[in-house]
Amino acid sequence: MDIDRIGPVLERVLGLMREHDLGELELESEDLRIRALKAGAAGEPGAAVAAPASADGAPAGAAPAAAEPVATVVEAPVVGTFYRASAPDAAPFVEVGDRVGPGDVLCVIEAMKLMNDIKAEFAGEVVEVLAENGQAVEYGQPLFKMLPAADD
Amino acid sequence: MFQKVLVANRGEIALRVIAACRELGVRTVVAHSQADRLGLPARFADETVCIGPAPSRHSYLNRPAILAAAEITGADAVHPGYGFLSERADLADGCAEAGVAFIGPPAEVLRLLGDKARAREAMGAAGLPLVPGTEAVPDADAAAGAAGDIGYPLLVKAIGGGGGRGMRLVERPDRLPDAFRAAVSEAEAAFGDPRVYLEKYLGGARHVEFQVLADGRGRTVHLGERECSVQRRQQKVIEEAPATGLAAGARARVGGLVTAAARAVGYVNAGTFEFLVDEDGRFYFMEVNPRVQVEHGVTETVTGVDIVKAQIRIAAGEPLAVEQDGVRLDGHAIECRINAEHPETFAPSPGAISTLVLPGGPGIRVETAAYAGDMVSPFYDSLLAKVIAHGRDRSEAVARMRRALGMMVVEGVDTNIPLHLRILDDPDYLAGRLTTTFLDRFLGTGAPAA
Repeated sequence: MDIDRIGPVLERVLGLMREHDLGELELESEDLRIRALKAGAAGEPGAAVAAPASADGAPAGAAPAAAEPVATVVEAPVVGTFYRASAPDAAPFVEVGDRVGPGDVLCVIEAMKLMNDIKAEFAGEVVEVLAENGQAVEYGQPLFKMLPAADD
Repeated sequence: MFQKVLVANRGEIALRVIAACRELGVRTVVAHSQADRLGLPARFADETVCIGPAPSRHSYLNRPAILAAAEITGADAVHPGYGFLSERADLADGCAEAGVAFIGPPAEVLRLLGDKARAREAMGAAGLPLVPGTEAVPDADAAAGAAGDIGYPLLVKAIGGGGGRGMRLVERPDRLPDAFRAAVSEAEAAFGDPRVYLEKYLGGARHVEFQVLADGRGRTVHLGERECSVQRRQQKVIEEAPATGLAAGARARVGGLVTAAARAVGYVNAGTFEFLVDEDGRFYFMEVNPRVQVEHGVTETVTGVDIVKAQIRIAAGEPLAVEQDGVRLDGHAIECRINAEHPETFAPSPGAISTLVLPGGPGIRVETAAYAGDMVSPFYDSLLAKVIAHGRDRSEAVARMRRALGMMVVEGVDTNIPLHLRILDDPDYLAGRLTTTFLDRFLGTGAPAA
């Protein structure tokens, strides 16, 4: 990437963000990757875990108490069929109320006969299961709502 | 016929496939990226599946995600469109393993045609005239020896792929060693295959291509040729059917060679055989594009054959309805590719389309997935719309195209409409004096198009 070319591209990116009031914009070409985040916008990189967002639909303006953790939605990182257990007669990997640690399996998504373990990326408590066992899920579909552990 | 076709593409070609399916009474699923959630293909398909984030390599080039999308939606066929995975034998293999039809040629044909050296050899054996050239050349010394037989100027070309990468134009013998090394390292970087070969460079040649349909049940026809010489950096800008200035009998003669070659390699479905035509009217085979072409619409317009519906019908095992003797060319069609780019610098122009007025009226067809309020995404190519003008002859088609583009409005992003309008007034263009270097000369850049 020719350094002289970055300036105009950056200006364009920032212009687009202003124009469309975007919180985040990521641009990637063969030799350049730009990720611009608006100050104060919630953003957490990673395909499998959504940006921590208020999942309880708190009314606008009513900021949660500072110490209170906010529920985070775990999204499907791949397309496929969602299974809560390793086999039809096995117990689910997790139930509502379970505490999990980073790396614990939450579910599997089967695609092309391959079982993809979907793992927790942080410690926390499962507060809601958002997809049905055996359901087809698309990329980015919400699967679980998790409350991050307070001491994390 | 299929129950449900998964469209593994985006933009205007995804919409084109959906249109064909709707006419055939087939349901559609669009496999789209997160960036295309609000696009027209997602709106007009019966179902949608998000297969990944915006960057193509995680979505439209993500073979497992596309196959998984076909699996979870119960699609019984996959249409790959053009670009992305459309020429990939491993997608055809994956479809076969999943018990889903691939709307395109058999995997082994894709494998053969994807290897430029093997394709060249096979087509030569099948009777197509080749540009004088070599097989894979091991090193610069061997290249220098072979170059003496071919003559200068010549091209060093990558075996593993096209699009101008791994390609060098060499004017003089003393430039060959450097050009050879540069082509090898570029080919290795671009295609993971360092092998290159030499080919004579045809400077004043035109790009002419033949459209083929083969049903795999014994019927192979050609739908005549397209003239695609107006191009910049291997990207076609204007295409026409038929080509002007072909010698009498050339269409039937080369069309016959092409259908014979297609049969010889077991070709099935739609495909395009690309040729260079030199100043003396001699045809030289370049390559086969084993998929629907961007410019298929000009052929549809003059022949009345719906190529995309034919692709779907062939993949579903139906025989071709058209016979060679039944192919008639009606008038002349021109396609202008409207790109979201600056008309002089060619810099891509992503952004929001604030106003979009599309032309219509007699003899005009527009293929686009753009709408006012739509975003031209920086993640994908800049093709915004294809405008096709049909006339009883070339001059009427040109007049209709001028009228249509003069009454087309795109605001919010730059487009190359002003460039098209200038070309449509150029004396050489109007006289049909076209070569692959036409546009470079027209733009005053002078560099050979190779």
